[in-house]
Amino acid sequence: MNTEIEIKQLSKNFGKKQALLNVDLTIKQGMFGLLGPNGAGKTTLMKVLTTLLKKSSGEVNICGIPVENCKQVRGMIGYLPQDFSMYGNMSAYEALDYLAVLSGMEKKERQKKVPQMLEKVNLEHQQKVKVKAMSGGMRRRLGIAQAIIHDPKVIVVDEPTAGLDPEERVRFRNLLCEIARDRIVILSTHIVGDIEATCEEIAVLNEGKILFRGTVSELLHMVEGKVYKAEVSTMELPMIKDTFLVTGILTNGSTSTIKIVSEESPMKDAILCNGDVEDAYMYLMHQYHDPKKCRNMGVQTPEREF
Amino acid sequence: MFGTLFIKECKQILRSLVYYIYVIVLILFLTSQMSGDSVNDLQKPKKGLDYYGMTVSTDKTDIMERTLADLLQEVYQNSFSTYPMGFYKQVILNDAELDEIKEIIEDCSGKDWDTLEKEMLEYYEAADQSTIEGAMQAMMEDRIEVKKDISYDTFCEKMERVCKIIGKGSSYEKKRLDYGVDVPSTYEKALEEYNGIVEKDRVTGAYMRLFCDYAGIILAVLPIFLGVTRGLRDKRSQVAQVIYARNAGAGVIQGSRYLANVCMAFLPVLIISFVLQMPWQYQAQTLGVKADVLAFLKYDVIWLLPEIMIVLAVAFFITELTENVISIFVQVVWAVVSLFSVAGLVGGFGLKLVTRWNELGGSALYEQQKSQLYCNRGFYFVLSLVLVVLTCLVYEKKRKEGESVYGKIFKRRK
Repeated sequence: MNTEIEIKQLSKNFGKKQALLNVDLTIKQGMFGLLGPNGAGKTTLMKVLTTLLKKSSGEVNICGIPVENCKQVRGMIGYLPQDFSMYGNMSAYEALDYLAVLSGMEKKERQKKVPQMLEKVNLEHQQKVKVKAMSGGMRRRLGIAQAIIHDPKVIVVDEPTAGLDPEERVRFRNLLCEIARDRIVILSTHIVGDIEATCEEIAVLNEGKILFRGTVSELLHMVEGKVYKAEVSTMELPMIKDTFLVTGILTNGSTSTIKIVSEESPMKDAILCNGDVEDAYMYLMHQYHDPKKCRNMGVQTPEREF
Repeated sequence: MFGTLFIKECKQILRSLVYYIYVIVLILFLTSQMSGDSVNDLQKPKKGLDYYGMTVSTDKTDIMERTLADLLQEVYQNSFSTYPMGFYKQVILNDAELDEIKEIIEDCSGKDWDTLEKEMLEYYEAADQSTIEGAMQAMMEDRIEVKKDISYDTFCEKMERVCKIIGKGSSYEKKRLDYGVDVPSTYEKALEEYNGIVEKDRVTGAYMRLFCDYAGIILAVLPIFLGVTRGLRDKRSQVAQVIYARNAGAGVIQGSRYLANVCMAFLPVLIISFVLQMPWQYQAQTLGVKADVLAFLKYDVIWLLPEIMIVLAVAFFITELTENVISIFVQVVWAVVSLFSVAGLVGGFGLKLVTRWNELGGSALYEQQKSQLYCNRGFYFVLSLVLVVLTCLVYEKKRKEGESVYGKIFKRRK
């Protein structure tokens, strides 16, 4: 059985606004991260994959099934939208049971799976808690439970950790990794840390176009030997920020420790250090938005179209 | 899946505050309206009484003579009652207009104004008006003889001229004249009426028609709130996307919601009608009549269920289309127009949403008009199914295209 998502030349426009432009992607089993700033087109792509939006052109196949076959595709997909919620007067159990019915599950199956799923997302003791009384984290966990209850081959998770406290975020990431063992999980986010902690394969989307696709190591490779740390006077910071791509600042009184991505050593006392996904992502976005500045910094500018 | 969703939907409705408000308003409205009709009033008429109540006469001479008497009264007082938009409006005419109407009355009766005025004053002076019933009877028995050479059609033409002078919504419009006039009943008529109630309606049938009359008024509006609440619930709770992404079809989702709302809206109507019917069942027993125990069910299903269905279908369709509360206004306007467009309070169903039968009895007339009622209710039953299918299509379209029709229109306007 084919377990991959194939996206070929996918475009979506809303009137004159181009939300997605000639997107090509192949997503295989495991966690796949979709990174990009707000408004990059991530949610649009997610919605096309989940049959909630009609594509303007191109081809999308989910495990070999064209996305136009809505009913079949819906049966294979679990979706956790960005702002997941359920009817406030339903308890966690009722909400999950209701959505399981909508997925066509029989009573016996539901009676078995609903408690299982609640246990899986650590809500077994809150199964009678009303949705309106749940915290953001509990709702997200309920959201993931509803996305996997019908055992879909593909799970699409849109901005799942936004608004969660650090502890909840880590717990949620672990949960996603756990469920991605035997299926495709697409994680869309603008939080680089989520991707770094969970995904091997990623794509970076900006203004509807794919800027990068590959592994996290390949993304990190882009900034290898280009990330420097330096201690500078806090007074000089504005000038440095104008000149270089500063990806981190740690201020300590009159001096600040900064992280710069640069082709060559930006200053005398700068020390070469290891870059992380955030540095690589910032570097990539800068190349796209401000190639002139990149050239001034001595950074090699790649083609805008990837 | 449909059955499970239906049950879950019913449970959700039972938890809704709007539903309890619906039930309370329904109970208050129906009990307050129905309390005026006492079971003890249903008795076999006795011979030799002065007053046997009122009855509607469609006899053309009755219509012309009674209408002319009413017109004379209003001209005399220069105060004309009209209901142009369903609400009462008093019309006062100038001398020239009054003179024109006086001429029409003279023309129809063949008597001059002074004579007519004198006769009217003498009549009311002689009548016993010490009680309300007496005054009512005097008014109903007041007649002005119409010239022999005036046909009903000519009379109606003259009344059309009167309507033009007075304005819209007067009681001289042709449709109102055709409906008939109230005339005092006789022993024979009262007995005939009683026999109709006892034999054809088996008491409870006649009472249920009256129940349906009142219930029909409130049910032309009330269920809209249930429908709009359900329609907007997904949007308010932000669950639309999650539900769209499941593989249940639009027909199953919307169909189960609609059916649950129809059943839950109909359930209190059934219970109230059953409870209110009980004293009449008992009265039938005391009169030695075997009451029709299932009358409440028959009348509710035929008369009120299609009305609930169409009101909810309108709510579902418009709310799904627009994602706002506009259907409440649409429905209120439709109900008010329907309610006030009726010529009389008994029968004449046509295709009106609110079908009236504001009297206890009228069995013979009901038998005549029954097929008209069936056509009316059948039409709304089919129309409601069509609207539900359209609702499913709109839902599926939104599900696939990701935005509402209203959203598209709004975006284009911007």
